[in-house]
Amino acid sequence: MRDISFGQYYPVRSFVHSIDARIKILITLMYMVSVFFIVSYTAFFCMFSLLIIIIAVSHVPYKIVFKSIKGLLFLLIFTAIINVFFTSSGNVLLPIKIGQLVITITDQGINFAIKMALRFTLLVLGSSILTFTTTPTELTDALEVLLKPLTYIKIPVHDLAIIMSIALRFIPGLMEETDKIMMAQKARGANLDSGNFFKKIKAMLPVLIPLFVSAFRRADELADALDARCYNASNKRTKMKVFKLKSTDLVSFFVFTALMVLIFLDKYYIGAMVPSPDLGGFEVQGLDIFVYNLLTRVLGYPV
Amino acid sequence: MPIIVKNLTFTYSAGTPYEKKALENINLQINEGDFLGIIGHTGSGKSTFIQHINGLIKPQSGEIEIFDIKLSSAKRPKVDLRALRSQVGMVFQYPEYQLFADTVEKDVAFGPKNLGLSSEEIDCRVRRAIEMVGLDYEAVKDRAPFELSGGQKRRVAIAGIIAMQPKMLILDEPTAGLDPFGKEQILNLIKYLKTHCSPTIVVISHDIDEITRFANRIVVFNDSRIVYDEPMQKLFKHTADLQRMGLDIPRAVKVVNALRAGGVDLGEDIVTAEELLRAIINRYNEKYSTQIDESAGVFDMYDFSQKWLTSEERAELGLSTAVPVEEVKEISKKPNKKFGSKSDKKSKLSKKNVKSKNSQQEDKK
Amino acid sequence: MAVLLDNVTYSYNINDTHRIDAVKQLSLHIEEGTFVALVGHNGSGKSTLAKLLNGLLLPTSGDVKIFGNSTLDPEKIYEIRKNVGMVFQNPDNQMIASIVEDDIAFGPENLGVPREEIIERVEWALSKVEMSQYRKRTPFKMSGGQKQRLAIAGVLAIKPKILVLDESTAMLDPQGRKEVLKVAHELNKEDGITVIHITHFMEEALDADRLIVMNGGKIAFDSTPREVFKKYEDLKAIKLAVPWETQMAISLKKAGIDLGEGIVNEKELVDSLCRLL
Repeated sequence: MRDISFGQYYPVRSFVHSIDARIKILITLMYMVSVFFIVSYTAFFCMFSLLIIIIAVSHVPYKIVFKSIKGLLFLLIFTAIINVFFTSSGNVLLPIKIGQLVITITDQGINFAIKMALRFTLLVLGSSILTFTTTPTELTDALEVLLKPLTYIKIPVHDLAIIMSIALRFIPGLMEETDKIMMAQKARGANLDSGNFFKKIKAMLPVLIPLFVSAFRRADELADALDARCYNASNKRTKMKVFKLKSTDLVSFFVFTALMVLIFLDKYYIGAMVPSPDLGGFEVQGLDIFVYNLLTRVLGYPV
Repeated sequence: MPIIVKNLTFTYSAGTPYEKKALENINLQINEGDFLGIIGHTGSGKSTFIQHINGLIKPQSGEIEIFDIKLSSAKRPKVDLRALRSQVGMVFQYPEYQLFADTVEKDVAFGPKNLGLSSEEIDCRVRRAIEMVGLDYEAVKDRAPFELSGGQKRRVAIAGIIAMQPKMLILDEPTAGLDPFGKEQILNLIKYLKTHCSPTIVVISHDIDEITRFANRIVVFNDSRIVYDEPMQKLFKHTADLQRMGLDIPRAVKVVNALRAGGVDLGEDIVTAEELLRAIINRYNEKYSTQIDESAGVFDMYDFSQKWLTSEERAELGLSTAVPVEEVKEISKKPNKKFGSKSDKKSKLSKKNVKSKNSQQEDKK
Repeated sequence: MAVLLDNVTYSYNINDTHRIDAVKQLSLHIEEGTFVALVGHNGSGKSTLAKLLNGLLLPTSGDVKIFGNSTLDPEKIYEIRKNVGMVFQNPDNQMIASIVEDDIAFGPENLGVPREEIIERVEWALSKVEMSQYRKRTPFKMSGGQKQRLAIAGVLAIKPKILVLDESTAMLDPQGRKEVLKVAHELNKEDGITVIHITHFMEEALDADRLIVMNGGKIAFDSTPREVFKKYEDLKAIKLAVPWETQMAISLKKAGIDLGEGIVNEKELVDSLCRLL
């Protein structure tokens, strides 16, 4: 036994956990699309607030959810830097000259970088809420249903679903097995975690070989078990589970549809409705214009 | 004193929804020469416990002293785990699943190699270990472990541990998954190793009839605690309590208890088949005034002469050509492979080697 | 006739030059409703025999018929597999889904059974193996005996007439072995399912109607368990042992204390000892 938090699933009961997996996948997809269309900081702010509320409702501790960002922090910073350096529009804040190469840091570049980082964070947090609140099995089943139409173009959706289901079923076992083999080899004095990369690979062979042997043996036995249970016996396969939508599922779905519509409006309509205030080369977009105007009016002078 | 465990507590995945207590305030002393059986149902903490003894799990609280090596939750001083593992050999459940090399010889050599021994020393140890588990060195050394039968693979895996010449051997369910004959062979092997390889042996098993075959002391784990720690002959006074914990009691004890209920009291302290046989013979002699000798009662469930296999068949199977255990005794009687003074010298040598390898770590202390 | 093997041989290549007959010219029939224990040491051919019964292996020569259908007939193979439910050795390698009920539904789903009936079958199968309360759980971290009972339930949901336990108790602890054996006997008695229990533990054959002992790909003994146990010397010669209690009586007899013939379980041993002492 060891510390296996299988997949990412966080086993508590909550409203978010109870929502139908299909709906959750669709919502997550819509959410992801929306995130890419967000232009204004106001919308970012709203989205983050919504996310915080959802996390609160899901009963998954904030600490654990925000941990999922940690692994991707490097990627996040990297994309932000790229954005900063390779945007040349807007007001130049700082020109950097390296030999012949001139790189300028502009206010617009920083603006882009911040927005990109925000989008990235929203994406990671949003999708991790899906995996925290949905068991891998639910996800597989839901995907099988959602991908059903693909059978018409001869994609073996059911077989793929079985493969995924088996993979999920065997991951904890294989992880446990890896752990056992590692312990067994350590008990024989193996040094599994020192030296450079190639040394490490070589040192891992006593773990990897038995693991592969075991995986093949399992696969062999499983194949017999599948056959013995009449796999592929009939073309008219039935399904015990039927997905029944609850009213809460539908409500959640419509809330997010509305949200997506709002964000589209923000990008394509609201921004175009009012002329953007003149701030040099710096663009203010969408709802931010309203907030800007509002602030200017309340404060009595331009921000 | 080889092993002293004090107030050992361990919790898996602490602070998560998967949190699970595995050990609670364990205190135990394992003495040199103990043949210790550990029983308890799945999840009672016994596996976690023995992983501690081999330094595979770092104690969360409490301390363990193993052959003067101290393990505790403290980060410093750094413990020389390799030195520890050369002293405590651990045979895991289904040990054949850890075989990886392309020949039996290379696989058995893995442990000694990790100890940093000289190649002559390694060769010598590998040969001795393979012979000790009752396999024919010349016949099996160049064969792939995967070609061997289940029981043979398990022997090879055990040889891999023995080749490290540990002072103490821990075996976790050593007979699991084997057929009864294979089980019997492994049990005999373990008894043999006790006298010829490592003087202290700890065996975990689900099968109480197996444990009672050799143990002189039994520790019972239940719900992450040690509930009994008694000499084998005394443990089964607690029959009712053991059964309440879902643990089996030996067949001989069941028979004795049933006989007592039926009005025939054969006395206490009968745990094994041989003891039961002797008690019945004695009672019979008393009642019918006969003179049957105690030693006439032989409980031989299996025939180890293996007369059903010709020597050719045995060679083909990679088996040594005589009774497994007897044969090993033969080998160890031969002067050049004896375990006496020569091997002692060698183990001293090997210790030196280990020391020089690990001297850097010790310097850090 | 539930099972009929007619002069069946199954051989395979171990390398380029050697061929091994795992099963040699074996003929056997099994009546519907019997509980058959098939015992032999490792390599005696008993597992090969099991896999011949549902067409996972096809005979090299001879014919295997299940309710009259030959496993060599590709059209009948699913009909045969529907009739012969097979449970294997390692409980961990037989389940395909992570939730108990999904796994048990897998068989009937493959057969295209209507949804309502699948649900009924899942409930029935789980109640048969006394695992109903685990319906929504995941098998990970269950005991070996529980997992193996679930594997039986998964096979039962196909509604087989024959249940083959192919060394299904080999990897279990004594407790798990008892659980599985109990379920198998109940299925045999209550539902009339023919059970073929393949094992290397002789004592598990005690309550079988018929005990077949295999050695070297052939049948060595085929009779009631009590009859077979009388041949203990011959059993020893093929690496098998009689039950512990029987051995106790034999050892006593050798020492000169005769408890009489036919002791196979604890009660009989205790009763005769009580009478004697």
